[in-house]
Amino acid sequence: MQQGNASDTEVTWEDQQNINKFGRLNNRFHELEDEIKIAKETNENLEDASNELILTDEEVVRLQIGEVFAHVPKDDVESRIEQMKEVTSKNLEKLEEEKESIVAQMAELKKILYGKFKDSINLEED
Amino acid sequence: MASSSSAASSFGVTERRGIPAAAFVEDVETYLAQSGLDVNSSLAFLQERSAPSSLSIQLQQYKLVEMKLLAQQRDLRAKIPDIEKCLDVVATLQAKKGTGEALIADFEVSEGIYSRACIEDTDSVCLWLGANVMLDYSCEEATALLQKNLENATASLEVLVADLQFLRDQVTVTQVTIARVYNWDVHQRRTRQTAAAKDS
Repeated sequence: MQQGNASDTEVTWEDQQNINKFGRLNNRFHELEDEIKIAKETNENLEDASNELILTDEEVVRLQIGEVFAHVPKDDVESRIEQMKEVTSKNLEKLEEEKESIVAQMAELKKILYGKFKDSINLEED
Repeated sequence: MASSSSAASSFGVTERRGIPAAAFVEDVETYLAQSGLDVNSSLAFLQERSAPSSLSIQLQQYKLVEMKLLAQQRDLRAKIPDIEKCLDVVATLQAKKGTGEALIADFEVSEGIYSRACIEDTDSVCLWLGANVMLDYSCEEATALLQKNLENATASLEVLVADLQFLRDQVTVTQVTIARVYNWDVHQRRTRQTAAAKDS
């Protein structure tokens, strides 16, 4: 019996499409992991910023808008940070959801492809 | 490169924005026969025209295009936050316009050196258009222009991402074809060996 011989199992167009889809999902998964990391960092930074704000007793805070630091009253900065925190956490949620759905789809495809090709295919991370 | 024939049918698009699609091979044997490539000779693997190395040339070409597209994607990804920052500033200026008070801002004169600027109530902003050109715009026009740039950049990025996905698919198809051709050849050698062993 020949070991791991893919020529015994023919690769159909459907199989090729499944393999392609798995590749795409895998790439998107890695991209998402990076994006989620960045979003988490941004969230933490905003948390630290709002904590610092509470501690400071200055009335006017320098807030970075674009490339400059504008002098903005403390209350405005507070509400602005709240807004930014909301946006980032919603974004983070969306990214996490997408990641979960991709993981589920990849598990499905793994089942199908391993089912057909068994040893002849390797779908694990290197 | 082997010309596509009935044994190597490609469903869907044949190429996308200059990237040729990799032909999907239905049956390895017919594919090799029709492209006139002789895998049986032991030298075939080393020759330029043999199936696996011509496929790997195709793979290298795909990799080159992929590098180029990835570089373009990085540039666009950097450009989009810049445009968003500009929009932010213009929006802030517009908001201040109503109140009548000047905006005090600290800006970078040189690395590590900052200076204070007092920005009076103003109706116009200057936008840097690139190529040493800067134009004066009213706040509304500036917002509109920046918004349009942002939309264009986002749309280009989407097209680029789709191109990259298509390219990666073609790379996968080519890799799978290389593996199948190789396996088929191994399979052929084994059957010939067992046949020879039986005869002797």
